[in-house]
Amino acid sequence: MVLVKNVSKTFGEISAVTEASFAVDQGTLAGMIGSDGAGKTTLLRIIATMIPPTSGSVIVSGMDAVTRRDAVKALLGYMPQRFGLYPDLTVDENLDFFMDIYGLTGAERSRRREKYLGFSHLTPFVRRKAGDLSGGMKQKLALACVLIHQPRLLILDEPTNGVDPVSRQEFWEILAEMKASGMTLLVSTAYLDEGENFDRLVILHKGRILAQGTPEAVCSGYPDLETAMIKRIETVDAGLAEERFAL
Amino acid sequence: MSLKKIGAIARKEYYHLIRDFRSLYLAFFIPLLLILLFGYALSLDVDRIPTAVVDHSKTPESRDFIERLNASLYFDVVAYPVSTEKMTRLIDGNRVVVGIVIPPDWTARLKAEKDAPLQVIIDGSDPNYAGNTRAYLMAVVGERNQNRLLTFLNRRGREPIAVPVEARIRVWFNEALESKNFIVPGIIAIIIMIVGALLTSLVIAREYENGTMETIRSLPVRASEFFFGKALCYWFITLVDVLVAVLMGQVLFGVVMKSNFWLMILASMIYISVALSLGLLISVKTRSQLMANQMAILLTYLPSLLLSDFVFPQQNMPAVLKAVTFAVPATYYIDILNGLYLRHLDFFQMWENFAVLAVMAGILFFLNIRALKKAGL
Amino acid sequence: MHSEAVTVTDLVKRFGDFTAVDHVTFTVRAGEIFGFLGPNGAGKSTTIRMLCGIITPTSGSGHVAGFDLFRQPERIKESIGYMSQKFSLYPDLTPMENIRFYLGIYAVPPSSWKARTEWVIRATRLESVRHRLTRDLPPGWRQRLALGCALLHRPRLLFLDEPTSGVDPITRRHFWEFIRQLTEEGVTVFVTTHYMDEARHCDRIVMIDAGKIAAIGKPSEIIQKTLPDRPGADLQEAFVALMRGRP
Repeated sequence: MVLVKNVSKTFGEISAVTEASFAVDQGTLAGMIGSDGAGKTTLLRIIATMIPPTSGSVIVSGMDAVTRRDAVKALLGYMPQRFGLYPDLTVDENLDFFMDIYGLTGAERSRRREKYLGFSHLTPFVRRKAGDLSGGMKQKLALACVLIHQPRLLILDEPTNGVDPVSRQEFWEILAEMKASGMTLLVSTAYLDEGENFDRLVILHKGRILAQGTPEAVCSGYPDLETAMIKRIETVDAGLAEERFAL
Repeated sequence: MSLKKIGAIARKEYYHLIRDFRSLYLAFFIPLLLILLFGYALSLDVDRIPTAVVDHSKTPESRDFIERLNASLYFDVVAYPVSTEKMTRLIDGNRVVVGIVIPPDWTARLKAEKDAPLQVIIDGSDPNYAGNTRAYLMAVVGERNQNRLLTFLNRRGREPIAVPVEARIRVWFNEALESKNFIVPGIIAIIIMIVGALLTSLVIAREYENGTMETIRSLPVRASEFFFGKALCYWFITLVDVLVAVLMGQVLFGVVMKSNFWLMILASMIYISVALSLGLLISVKTRSQLMANQMAILLTYLPSLLLSDFVFPQQNMPAVLKAVTFAVPATYYIDILNGLYLRHLDFFQMWENFAVLAVMAGILFFLNIRALKKAGL
Repeated sequence: MHSEAVTVTDLVKRFGDFTAVDHVTFTVRAGEIFGFLGPNGAGKSTTIRMLCGIITPTSGSGHVAGFDLFRQPERIKESIGYMSQKFSLYPDLTPMENIRFYLGIYAVPPSSWKARTEWVIRATRLESVRHRLTRDLPPGWRQRLALGCALLHRPRLLFLDEPTSGVDPITRRHFWEFIRQLTEEGVTVFVTTHYMDEARHCDRIVMIDAGKIAAIGKPSEIIQKTLPDRPGADLQEAFVALMRGRP
């Protein structure tokens, strides 16, 4: 579904992503794990056709993300890290905007509205302004909006960051449902404890891919993902390991 | 380009507008305030100039002179100080602008047919005002001199001759030389810039600040659709403001547009497009509401006010500044409005102005699309 | 030093109609690491800002470092250290200039400026970057500098607001080791976080949601009390169970 080949991205002097290559299979839930500044957002934005890579290529469903941008855009849904909705518009009006853009009308429009408001448990709040929703509800509304055109590939940038544990769990349940319906998902997170939810993991550190594979394979030999990640960072980034500070 | 997508964006923009108190206030309250402020306060006319006269002569002739002065619309003798020092104090205290001293021997010298000077002191703090004052005073004195010359010749038994060269001046287009006839078109141009450019300068910057620009970019929306959707609401609001301003000009100041109304609307539509495009361009370039606001004031509102021939005459500007005025859209729009309000010109007499505005709108549209494409749309 | 570094009873903070903190009662013992856990918007920052004397509570009572929350906020500010990763530092100043600023603010006697500065620079390993602009430092280094600034006046009580968000796992681990060393010297540490897995570094925690305390105690005790029949459960699961159990 997604094929990332030797992708690098530099902003001026800074290289945000260096020589990243990985693949996401159709119908799987892939995770991208790394701390802030590891390059997760840049890589996701490249795949979502938001920015072109400096070098390398991204192929989505057989189409190049740069040369066939409109076609790729049409089959994916991308939810940026920051709440990308209009805080002064109500839940309904936000959803209306997305449906207008995708030209949804008549019976199909009301069917989808019911469906996605329903599963995000937002039906009682349709008249509330998006800015007045709690963090968890905001994320669920954002998800409903990107799902409204029923994309085949869903890209979510740290959707659960700072969200309360209950909403987080609900969010993961929704993602599992999406996957069961045949959707391909690519999700980034800074929470290492969410790693086990993924079919495949890509571990990023300072713009480079440290490891990839199933969660079990990435953890191999280590008690948990955090230890596995620390060990791997230590092997590539000796400087960081030296930065221990003490009284 | 799809009309449905433009509609989708315009509808969303309409919601933002009705939810945002500041924008509404800027759109409707500020124009009213401006009309009142400019219309009443910024009168460029010089009349009823507060005047003080020190009459040392105290004769029927001197009193007659003072009366004539007072009777003219231009001068208003408000004080009769007894000494030059007292008069000076009145000028220093900003109570009067002109001080006239009639010397003790003034009447005697007149009667002896000698030269009879008057001492006149004008407060020159406002050169425009002082210049006008001086001209009016010269006119009053000149008229008196001419009358005296005629009676003198009469007395000598000569045929009264006509004054050899007489400039018979007629002011066209604004017969009463009333500045309000000139100010109302200027206000309309300023209002369009404020409402149009200032409001729209916020709208794309706001998308960046909310983080929603990223959302827009992920949607199948083209740069042109985004541009027209953004501009649509503001285009109509600004047009309504133009009508309100025209109506206010008529009701409050009696400035009536006697020419082709639809030509005025056409010119306004083109000029509004220029203002909105300028605002949106600033917005997409700065990406911050604060910066955009300051840029909009600097690049649109101030030039329209200061360089458009509205407040300061372009003829008197140095060459460099004069060159800049050609790039100020308000120059052309005010020219058209003056043509319509004062000279009753038709389209073919002003088509160059229309053409320049249309070309400006076209260039700005192109720059907008390019900037939006560069921003990832 | 009191045996309780912080005691608060029925603390309430309202902003207009919105109750950010709703009758919160707890004590922090001297020399412990006390964790304040909850999602974004749960009331963590509001609570920590009340305890530091930055905002005045609406009602309730409390003492911090022996001083009254309502009557002696200035005394509280003098005797505690407060670090907020987002707001502590001036990005356009160098580390040395930031330190100099805080020395003045905390009224450290000028005779000991040099020694304190050297101590902080050494403890936080900032020797090599002392004259670079703070905004050019990596997030982990900025975080250490912020912590160092909060320690300049040798406070016995340290408040840390989301100190570890956005840093990689290694730097996070180093950070917690450093905090542990501080408590061994007798410093009391009050820390907020939205990473549930960081609770294991705390002696005792409060879990807060929507302004109310959901659970308080040792992490292991909370898990055991909430989910007695699931020995392998973690804090995240306990929190979800607590939230869902509530009407």
